[in-house]
Amino acid sequence: MDKNLHLDSVIKTHQITKEEQLLNKHKEKNKEVKEALEKNYGDSIYSPFNSGSYAKNTAMNTKFDFDMVSPFKRNAFGSKGTLKEMFEDVYDFLYEKYNDVATVRKQKVSVGIEFHSNGDGDIVKIDVVPGRELNQDQYSDDENLNLYVYYKYGNYDAGSERIKTNVQAQIKNIKDRATNEKESIRKIIRLLKVWKNTKYNYPTKSFFLELITIKAFDNKAITGNLWSKLETVLEYIRDEVTKDGFTLKDPGNSSNDLIDSLTESERETLSYDMKNMLERIEDNDENIKTYFPENAKFVEEEKADNKYENKGNGFYSAPPKNERFG
Amino acid sequence: MDARLNKIQQIISELNGISIESPFSSDFDSTIVGKIKVSIVDSNETLIFDVKIFLEYPLKKFDTESITFFNTDFLEYGHVMGNGSICIHTSHNIDLKKKIEIDINSLKRWIVKYYLNKENDNHYEHIILQPKEFNNIHFSYLFTEVDYSFNKNQFGFFEYSKIIDGLYFDKTISNHIVQNFKDQFSKTITECKWSNHIKQLANRNIGLYVFLDNPPTRKKKFIISNWEDLEGLVTQDLFKFLDNIQKRSQKIKGNPIPLLIGYKISELEIHWQASILEIGKFPIESYKENQIWKGRFIDKDIIWSFTRNCSYDYFFGRGKLADKITKNKILIIGIGAIGSIVAKTLTRCGCTSIDIVDFDIKEPENVCRSEYSFLTGLCNKVDELSNELFRISPFVEIGIIDFRLFHNYSKVLNKSNDAKKILQKSLDCYDLIIDCSTDNDLLYILNQLDLKRLITLSITNNAKDLVCSVEPKSYDWVINQFENILENDLEDIHNPTGCWSPTFKASYNDINTLVQFAIKHLNLRFLDESIALRNFVLKTEDENGFNIKLNEF
Repeated sequence: MDKNLHLDSVIKTHQITKEEQLLNKHKEKNKEVKEALEKNYGDSIYSPFNSGSYAKNTAMNTKFDFDMVSPFKRNAFGSKGTLKEMFEDVYDFLYEKYNDVATVRKQKVSVGIEFHSNGDGDIVKIDVVPGRELNQDQYSDDENLNLYVYYKYGNYDAGSERIKTNVQAQIKNIKDRATNEKESIRKIIRLLKVWKNTKYNYPTKSFFLELITIKAFDNKAITGNLWSKLETVLEYIRDEVTKDGFTLKDPGNSSNDLIDSLTESERETLSYDMKNMLERIEDNDENIKTYFPENAKFVEEEKADNKYENKGNGFYSAPPKNERFG
Repeated sequence: MDARLNKIQQIISELNGISIESPFSSDFDSTIVGKIKVSIVDSNETLIFDVKIFLEYPLKKFDTESITFFNTDFLEYGHVMGNGSICIHTSHNIDLKKKIEIDINSLKRWIVKYYLNKENDNHYEHIILQPKEFNNIHFSYLFTEVDYSFNKNQFGFFEYSKIIDGLYFDKTISNHIVQNFKDQFSKTITECKWSNHIKQLANRNIGLYVFLDNPPTRKKKFIISNWEDLEGLVTQDLFKFLDNIQKRSQKIKGNPIPLLIGYKISELEIHWQASILEIGKFPIESYKENQIWKGRFIDKDIIWSFTRNCSYDYFFGRGKLADKITKNKILIIGIGAIGSIVAKTLTRCGCTSIDIVDFDIKEPENVCRSEYSFLTGLCNKVDELSNELFRISPFVEIGIIDFRLFHNYSKVLNKSNDAKKILQKSLDCYDLIIDCSTDNDLLYILNQLDLKRLITLSITNNAKDLVCSVEPKSYDWVINQFENILENDLEDIHNPTGCWSPTFKASYNDINTLVQFAIKHLNLRFLDESIALRNFVLKTEDENGFNIKLNEF
């Protein structure tokens, strides 16, 4: 099999545009929430903007949500207002507004709104991340924000009042790459996210995978076809992630090291998983299919028809090849 | 023979610190006997030992040494048996001279450790006793823990189930399982912590017990041998109790009845020894003291029989799987070759809660590569396997799941959300589900559920590879292995009775080798959670000798 063709198909079948209806619904709701926030908070809020995978163009259609940063002015909740008060206020507002049509809940640093499906199975999910500028009018200069940590987030304990971040810097981290490299980086990130989704509760965040991919591109000569590039990144993760002194600095806050979001044993496991993956794909190309599965929903019809040719069909009494024994 | 005797004597006499106290000679069965004197280093003290050297020497006699050193003066020291023989464990050597040197050195080590330093071993040494037959039959009583603390001098009845008779060397042995303890009024005070299957065993009979608190010993390690030795250790109430029992049991005069004697061996653990009494000839008598009738034991040898503590920690003490497996509630789906081997292995390795489900009938041709027996003929696999498992472990609870219901909820009604919920709910109670059914449809269905831990095991034809999924949602991975990755030669299948019942080729040895390897790997990963458990394939290769390669994914 051709590993590159397969990986191309993995990316293609996971493109967010494939889920046009769902994407449009998200865009609509996103606009509605943005406008509601702006209307409610008026002069106290800067323009909310999309962050997360959609903004970074690394989104996938199998795990769909929109993240929206909602940047508040320093005195939006009074000159002595706390970040907690900001978080609670945004929650109260969104709860009041959407409780009838959605499940609104407090999450690690955001308020999640999961709109009820309208019978068509489509679920729209928008996470609103309230942030506040550090000083009056400073946001316009450097786009730094403080977030409130509602529930333990990485190294930040619940109730922490100061998680400084710069979401715009995080987004630009990918967007500002040279164009040809940028596309490769996005593809690798998408593939790693596809792989992560084959695992149950894998501890690496998407943001972690983004940063480590970019770091691999910064530190290794990543060339050749898509598989060759992916292979180099996998090797980089395998070799580096367990090393002492390995860091993954958050471009939005250099004191936030994403490597700390994994325990020692999780780092070992991540390295071990990369090692196994590389070895098994080396053993047999076909193994790539289960590490990086296509989204079966969008595998082209004709391709799907041919997929199990001479494999799944029992011919008279001979059991088919997928017959397992025991 | 004389040459051998002379040689042994000469070797011993030339050893450092050893002299011949009485010259060696051959007795009637060619055993060499003599006396040696051992000088203690840095001391004027010398110790005398009788020496017996059997014909096998320097080879072992069964599992004991064929040389023995005795001195009954040393009974109170550690590792001395009732006849005064010193317990020595020495190394194998086929050279007579070297072997004598080794054995004498072992004796010297005993002298230093237990005679001079009077060391006590950390682990508890059971009382030394020599069980005897009653009316030419040995008796054994297997016991386990109870959730109850016996008091000093407490006595009453216990109930036991007779299991199968056997031969103990050339004598019949009658084996029994202790079921519960009752007070002197026959009210049950505690049940032994066996599996329900054991608790339901019939063939019940009644014995007696008394709890002493301290072991009934002389020199702290030898069990008492005469009933009179119990004088002062029991209360007058016990004599009344025994006398009453005997009077009420006239109809079964001459029958044996066991008397368990219990005592603490640590703060948390008790032990039982069993003596056999003869109804009508209890070793007690009454006498008058200060105008009051009293009871006492008479001068009569005690017939001790066998007891064994079979509680979970002893039963599985020599080896078991990780607690993270054994403490699980487990469901095994499909008990063909792999499933039955898995079930038996888990049972032998300490698992105590295993449910099984399978629709299939055991046929004679299944026997050669699974854990079934020929003599049970045709029968439900679940029934035969559960019986097999009950016979192995007195702690395993086996549940048989109705295969029709399981099939209905997993296959027939699988499109209904309610059925899915019912299936999910019925599987929620399992910590570990091991799917050995090799049923791809079922795997697909299970893949959609949220299970605590699902493991699937299956092999390719000829047991070339074993595929084990352990990660959630592994249906695609398993199918991909069989469809696209592994060699699964379906031309070369076993097709004995027509084309509709073909099956794979592989022997018990082929399959069991892989299944045990897989369980070994799973156990290691359960023990050490620093590396996550991943799907794996065991690949075999037999071109340059047999090899198994573990490929983790």
